[in-house]
Amino acid sequence: MKIQKSLKLAVNILLHSKLRSWLTIIGIVIGVAAIVAIVSIGEGAQVSVNERLGGLGADIVTISPGFQRATGNFRGFGDGEGSATTSQKNLTNKDIQTIKSVNNILFVNGIVSGRADTSYLAETASLSIQGVDPLAWSNMITTGLSSGRYLNSGDTNMIVIGSRVAASTFKQSLVVNRDITIEGKPFKIVGILESSGNGDNIIYMPIDQARDILNKSTDYYDSISFKVADASQVDAVVNETTQRLMISRQLLGKTQDFSITSAQAIQEQIQSVTQTFTIFLGAIAAVSLLVGAVGIANTMFTSVLEKTKEIGIMKAIGAKNRDIMAIFMLNSALVGFAGGVMGILLGIGISTLLPQFLGGIAGLGRGGITTVVPLSLVIEAILISVLLGMLAGAIPAYRASKLKPVDALRYE
Amino acid sequence: MKKSLIKLENVWKIYLMGDVEVAALKDVSMSIDEGEFVAIVGSSGSGKSTLMHLVGCLDLPTKGSVFLDNKDISSMRESELAQIRGKKIGFIFQQFNLIPNLTALENVMLPLEFQNMDGGEAKEKAMALLNVVGLDDRMHHRPSQLSGGQQQRVAIARALSTNPDVILADEPTGNLDSGSGSEVLSLLEKLWKQEGKTLIMVTHDLNLARRSQRQIHLKDGKLWSVKT
Repeated sequence: MKIQKSLKLAVNILLHSKLRSWLTIIGIVIGVAAIVAIVSIGEGAQVSVNERLGGLGADIVTISPGFQRATGNFRGFGDGEGSATTSQKNLTNKDIQTIKSVNNILFVNGIVSGRADTSYLAETASLSIQGVDPLAWSNMITTGLSSGRYLNSGDTNMIVIGSRVAASTFKQSLVVNRDITIEGKPFKIVGILESSGNGDNIIYMPIDQARDILNKSTDYYDSISFKVADASQVDAVVNETTQRLMISRQLLGKTQDFSITSAQAIQEQIQSVTQTFTIFLGAIAAVSLLVGAVGIANTMFTSVLEKTKEIGIMKAIGAKNRDIMAIFMLNSALVGFAGGVMGILLGIGISTLLPQFLGGIAGLGRGGITTVVPLSLVIEAILISVLLGMLAGAIPAYRASKLKPVDALRYE
Repeated sequence: MKKSLIKLENVWKIYLMGDVEVAALKDVSMSIDEGEFVAIVGSSGSGKSTLMHLVGCLDLPTKGSVFLDNKDISSMRESELAQIRGKKIGFIFQQFNLIPNLTALENVMLPLEFQNMDGGEAKEKAMALLNVVGLDDRMHHRPSQLSGGQQQRVAIARALSTNPDVILADEPTGNLDSGSGSEVLSLLEKLWKQEGKTLIMVTHDLNLARRSQRQIHLKDGKLWSVKT
C-alpha cells in the first residue's frame, strides 16, 4: 500500500478516535507547552539581558575600587555591595595614566558619581549625578540622543540627562536648553538620551563640576571605564591592564584591591546562569513529555485492541503486515504531531501571558521580560513529539501487524 | 474436464483449548473446480468456518496440504498469503465486515489500494462495481447509514474489486431478512454466471445450499457427504 493511502487511513482513525484517546495526548501537550514556554522565556531573558548589557557595549571595561572574592561575578553592576572588600584604596589620576599606557585602549573615562538635589520650577528631587570626561564619555556611550547633543570638552555648566530624568522626574518634562538647578548652581540641558534601560535616571556632566557639587577631591574617581579598540581583544586588554595596575599600585605579591569587569564577561555569566536555569526547567518539562509518550503507548494498545476486528478485515482483503504496521505507526505519529502542535500553541500562549503576571509580581513590569519563540524550537518540538509518538506506537503497531488474520476476524 | 482450483489433501486442523486438543477438521480431502458454485453445509461446530478459513488462506492447516491454483499454501509466509488473499480471493462475511469509518466507496477501494493501484483508477473501478450492485446513489454513505442488504452489497462489490478467482461467502444472508437475503443471493448467482467466478458459500441453510451446483456436508470436522 502506498504511504499516502496509509496516512489517509491513519488520519481517518485519528479523526474518529474517542475522547479518551484525545485525553491521553494531554501529557504530550503539557510537556511540549512547558518546554516551549520555558525555553521561550529563557530566550527572551537572554535577549533582554543582551539588550540591557549590550547598551553598555561589549568593548567597555569598568574598573572600581575594592576587590570582591568569590562572589565577585556581578561586581561593577550598580554600586557594588562589596561584602568581602579587602581595601578601599581609591582610584586616582595615576591609575588613569597607567590605563592610558596600555595598547588597544581607545578612550579612558574617569567617573565620579553621587546624588545631588536638583530643582526645577520649585520642585526638588535627589538625582544621580555622574561626572565624566566629556570627550571619552561621548565616544563611549552607546545610548543614542533623543534630542540635543552629547557633552563636548570645554563645556561648563552643561548637562546631558537620561530619558527618565527628562520625562518623569518633574511635573513638567525637561527639554533641551532648559536650565535646572543642581545643588544651587544653574545648569543648562544640552542633550537628552534615548531610553535604554541603563542610565535612564542619570544626569551626566563634566567631571570637574561634578567634583565640585559632590565635594570630591581632584584626584579621586569612583570608577574608571575604558573602551577597547576591538571587542575580541577585551580579555587580553583586561589582563594587561590588571597587571599594569598591580605594578603601579604596588600590589605585587599582595591582594588585588580593585575590580575590573568587562560588560562582555557579565553578559556571558548571566547568559550561562539563564541557560543553566532553562536547561534545568526544560529537563523537568521533559519528564512530562515522557509521561505523555507512555500515555500515547497506552492509547495505542487500546486502539489496536479496539481495532482488532478491522485489522482482521483488512488482512482478509489483502493488507500485508507492513501495511498494518504503517497505518498504526502513522496514526501514533499523528497523535504525537497533534499533541506537539497543541503544545506549541499552548506554550506560546503561556509564554506571552506568564511574563505579564511575573512582571506584576516581581516589579519587573515596564515590558521587562520579553519572550522569544525561535522557529528552531517549534520545529524541534514537533519533531520530538512525532518521534515520541512513533516510539510509543512502535510496539502496539508491531503487535497489530502480527495478529493472525483468523483470530483478528473472530474478535468481537 | 474442468481445472481444479482448490484442493485439500488430508487436512487436519487442531486447536489447543487450554490443555485439550480439539480437532476442528479431521482428515478432509476435497477438490473444487474453477467456475464451480459449491455450498459448504453443516451445523455450527461442524468445522465449516475452519474449512473456509483454510480455503481463504486466512489460516494454515495443522497437517495436510491446501492447494490453490496448484500451489501449496501450507508452507507460505504471511506476506505471500496476504498477496494471495488480496488478488485471488474475495471475502463476503455474515457480519458484512465493512470498515465503519470509511464510506461505501472507500470500502470498495480499499483492497485495490492494498494492491497499490493508482487512486484515480481504484476510484473508477469501485464506482463501476457499486453501480453493478445497484448502490451508485449510496457511494458516500458510511456502513451505519446503510441497511443490512445494502451493506452486504457493498461487501460484494468489495469482494469483486480485485477481480479475484474465488468468491468466499460465509453465511452471506445470515444477518439479513428474507427479502434482502434472496436479493443478495440472486446477485451472487448472477455474478457467478456472468463473470464465471468460482463461488464457495458456507451456510447452514439447506434451502440456500440447494441453489448451488454441489453441496459439501461437514459433520464433526469430517466430510459427511457430497451432493451434486
